[in-house]
Amino acid sequence: MSARVPVWLFALALSAASAGAQAPPVERFRRAGELVRSGDALGGLAVYRELAAAGLESGSLYWNWAQAASARGEAGEALWAVLRGREVEPGDRSLAREQERLREAANLDPAELAPEPLFALARLGRRFHLDWLALGLALASLGAHALAHRRPALRWPARAAWGAGALALLAAAGPLAGATARPTAVVVRRGAPLLDGASGSAHSIGALRQGEVVPIIERSVDYLRVEDSSGARGWAHRDDVWALERPAAP
Amino acid sequence: MRRPLALLLATLAWAAPSARADEASVRAEVDASRVGVGDQLQVTIVIEGRGAELAGPVAPPPLKNLKVVGGPMQSTQVSFVNGAMTQTLSFTYVLQPLAVGKAEIGAARVRLSSGEKATAPLSVEVVAGHVRAPAQPRNLMEEAFGADPFAALQGRGRARPEPKVVVTAVASRARTHVGEPILITYFMYTQASVASVQSTSAPQYPGFWAEDPEQPKSPQGERTTLGGEGYVRFPIGRKLLFPTRAGSLTIPPATFRVNLARLSVFDQGGAVERSTEPLTVTADPVPAGADASGAVGEFQVAAALDRSSVGLGEAATLRFTVEGSGNLKWVERGPELTIPGARIYPPQVKSDFKVGTDGIRGSKTWEFVIVPETSGALQIPALPFTYFSPAASAVKHAQSAALTLEVQGTGAAGAPSAPLPPPRSAAGTGGLALRSDLDLPGRALPELGARALLVGLGLVLALHGALAGGASWSRRRAAATGRSAPRQSVRRALGDLDQARRGGLSKEQAAALIERTLHGVFGPVDENGAGPAGERERAIREVLQEVQFIRYAPQLGDYSEQISALAARASDVVRRWA
Repeated sequence: MSARVPVWLFALALSAASAGAQAPPVERFRRAGELVRSGDALGGLAVYRELAAAGLESGSLYWNWAQAASARGEAGEALWAVLRGREVEPGDRSLAREQERLREAANLDPAELAPEPLFALARLGRRFHLDWLALGLALASLGAHALAHRRPALRWPARAAWGAGALALLAAAGPLAGATARPTAVVVRRGAPLLDGASGSAHSIGALRQGEVVPIIERSVDYLRVEDSSGARGWAHRDDVWALERPAAP
Repeated sequence: MRRPLALLLATLAWAAPSARADEASVRAEVDASRVGVGDQLQVTIVIEGRGAELAGPVAPPPLKNLKVVGGPMQSTQVSFVNGAMTQTLSFTYVLQPLAVGKAEIGAARVRLSSGEKATAPLSVEVVAGHVRAPAQPRNLMEEAFGADPFAALQGRGRARPEPKVVVTAVASRARTHVGEPILITYFMYTQASVASVQSTSAPQYPGFWAEDPEQPKSPQGERTTLGGEGYVRFPIGRKLLFPTRAGSLTIPPATFRVNLARLSVFDQGGAVERSTEPLTVTADPVPAGADASGAVGEFQVAAALDRSSVGLGEAATLRFTVEGSGNLKWVERGPELTIPGARIYPPQVKSDFKVGTDGIRGSKTWEFVIVPETSGALQIPALPFTYFSPAASAVKHAQSAALTLEVQGTGAAGAPSAPLPPPRSAAGTGGLALRSDLDLPGRALPELGARALLVGLGLVLALHGALAGGASWSRRRAAATGRSAPRQSVRRALGDLDQARRGGLSKEQAAALIERTLHGVFGPVDENGAGPAGERERAIREVLQEVQFIRYAPQLGDYSEQISALAARASDVVRRWA
């Protein structure tokens, strides 16, 4: 995530260098919208996927992706797009409303979309840049501490150092706690089987609900070990459950 | 305390001789006059009255066609009524009939201190079989107070027998289809009194969707037999299971903790765990077709418009409802709606379900918003819905009735009709609210990540430590070279100098305070010292020289202003050089 800005800048530079061969991302995004409007939702989704894979992620991209997937009846993919969009732009309220609408349409309980409560803390930290705020406050605390030593006759620098240090720890608590949350994935295929092994010949031990968000316990090459809301654990194919941490679907 | 006791003794002393003087009565009672030959009965000899003092043991009455199998159980009751004491002695024998016919209980003779008394004889009719419930052996103490609380201490305790409790799981049927519900009912068979039952762990149902139907609020027990023994059976749980795959599916055992009721105030109750046997259910596959919705059950479909006519450009809502019993809850695929000359928005789906013991009953409605783009009669086609009917073991095709929506042409109707847009399905995209700009987030700050944040905070913490350590080292070094000026002493020194500046001290006291403060902060400094001195040394010496001047100046005037100025100057020196 931390390298996202350089990646999309790099992608922009690449796209500028090959301008003759490929249209700018903004233009491609608009054309994808036209494709979706004209009924070619699959074509539009392919463009959205390419843009996301190139690191050109935004709330608008995932909004349109969710609309196109929803129009195709792919409720799970639509929910994945909305949730991924909220990861990219945590402050986009329309994505939050769309998530609620899709959840109701899929008959899912709110808890089935939030199996990891600490995930919300991580999102809050991203939205308000709490990590940078914590670091800034820590540096301010250090400066005040130094001043307190340099000017011992002044009382306020020591107080400011303690206060800024405490605030820094408070601000850092959200991102640090959020980082301990297990990664999650969304079930994008209806009746996706839950397998007893990470192979194509494994037996099905149940089925996952489309749109449900499941924590990822373990990863294999093409499979993810997940736990559904009833506590059942098993393996699911990567094509059936899409991880939310990735910038684009596989 | 002594007075009431004396009164009680006096009362007893008064009552005892008068009791001896009164007559006592003796009678015999039976608890049944007609019993079966397999039954038991009790005869009680009651001695009542103020002179009920025994002069000898009470013998059982002579019996005919009966025998004594228990007793005597003796009880005594004393009551005071209007200051008079009445004593009642009871002797109870348990009797067993010997044969069908007439039985007799003869006169029981009782020797009292006032003389011998006899009861009236009694007769009992004995019939074949049983006419009363089998009596449990009676223990009057345990009936009254429960088990002996000291029995365990004295080694006379009896282990509570293992209660006869069994739990079973029963499937409504052994063969079903994928998506067709079966009801699993958990029963408890018990011969013991049960306080509560709880599941020890959430049962897992691999290969099924599980739903909880409404549980009976007060389960009714029924008498039944299990393995040739009589039990009372209670339903203790229900689960509605929908197979998600075909094949032989196993419902694993479920374990319940059965808490036994306390039989008396001294009984601890106890609990036992019981598990069900695993069940095997066979799920047959359902035919899969291109148009299959995945629904399994019995359904009816209907379609309705919220209005029969609209103006051009206005919207109407078409509701396509599927209603019935089955697995409709998990059906997500709605019908495809295509209407030439109208814009169709993707449907909103609404559900209303109730989970019963026979399945999930309810309805699911797809609401399409239709915006006509031409005037006239808009034909809404019949919408199909395909499902598998387990009752018929066949795929069924249902469809709603075709509808007509009248579109009133207003201003737009008079306009030259625009070419009809190409047919679009609802699963397509006509009215999608798509965004036109990519709007890449202008993120000036990349996300740090937990690791970088921890490293940053750790670094800052280490720098804090280095600062504190450096200051401490510096203080120690300065102390070694006689230039100690710890921060706390600086603050205290400034406070002392402020006190000297405010006045209230004699000039000697103020001068001594300033001098002591400067020496305390900067160490021993000779105000008249020779040798090279830096700016710091010079400033300190100048202040100290003025202090000496004021201290030894003659008492000829007011030095308060000079002392105040000197203290302020000393404060500046401390602030700057300490």
